[in-house]
Amino acid sequence: MMSGRTCSSGHVVQAQKLVDQLRVEAGMERIKISLTAADLVRFCQDHRRSDPLLTGISASSNPFKDKKTCRLL
Amino acid sequence: MVSASQDGKLLIWDTFTGNKLVAVPLKSAWVMSVAFAPSGNLVASGGLDNMCTVYNIKAASPKTLRELDAHTGYLSCCRFLSDSEILTASGDTTCCLWDLETGKQKIIFTNHIGDCMSLALSGDMNTFISGACDSLAKLWDLREGTCKQTFSGHTSDINAISFFPSGNAVITGSDDCSCKMYDLRSDQEVIGYQDTSLNAGVTSLALSNSGRLIFAGYDDFNCHIWDSLKGEKVGVLSGHDNRVSCTGVPEDGMGVCTGSWDSFLKLWN
Repeated sequence: MMSGRTCSSGHVVQAQKLVDQLRVEAGMERIKISLTAADLVRFCQDHRRSDPLLTGISASSNPFKDKKTCRLL
Repeated sequence: MVSASQDGKLLIWDTFTGNKLVAVPLKSAWVMSVAFAPSGNLVASGGLDNMCTVYNIKAASPKTLRELDAHTGYLSCCRFLSDSEILTASGDTTCCLWDLETGKQKIIFTNHIGDCMSLALSGDMNTFISGACDSLAKLWDLREGTCKQTFSGHTSDINAISFFPSGNAVITGSDDCSCKMYDLRSDQEVIGYQDTSLNAGVTSLALSNSGRLIFAGYDDFNCHIWDSLKGEKVGVLSGHDNRVSCTGVPEDGMGVCTGSWDSFLKLWN
């Protein structure tokens, strides 16, 4: 069982760590959402053509298509 | 593709033929996560045994390379950086970077106040993101070991997390039945993906190559597809007879794979 004094100093250390972490996070340099959101949209547009799930996969170029093969024994 | 099941097996599949290439019997059947090293030489698994076990699958018969044993809670997620480093997330609320050559912990990432459920590595491997039962998502500096940003908004456990392919945003999936996109540079939530008709928790998620489509696995046995920019549901993958527990898209983006408590893995495109 911790004594009253060590108990409270433990809480203070913990609280100080929390405040320090919050300070670090609050100090971040943020870029405006209007700019970053535009970047996200642009990225999707730029990479549209290399997204087969978006543009569709033709049966002939589908590597996962069930292959009906004739096996010669 | 690698998969692990609570039937005690880790399997490596040829996804084009559906054939099983390698089977690794797991010491502990209570597996929660599995990972493939980028080289293809190693796989890792872990779960309620609190350990991350790494296997060499290129050996004549799969060999246990390392047993990473230091977490005091279950292993919820593991991801390889290379054949010599692996990152783990645990129910003990910490994430950890391990040195596979020594089997020792290199850095322990502490800041979450709930079980860590999921993690994702950035493309440049300088940062990673974690989602936890404290409903927060956090961005970490991998080398410094510090938490750089915290994203709030979810009202329940975050079970799934992924980077948007540009590396500038993060998508999360939660037990609060919604997914969210957070932008890293503006440090805020951008869109929420939810629907009043969807009353099931999100268990897993994966993005298509351009980031436009989000494939999210839910407790309602389906994988729902969201338009990441419009915030609208654009489709659903139905076919499983139980909860969808994992979702993944391969590097070439040619399909999406869902794994379920119905014991099946299904490949869709």
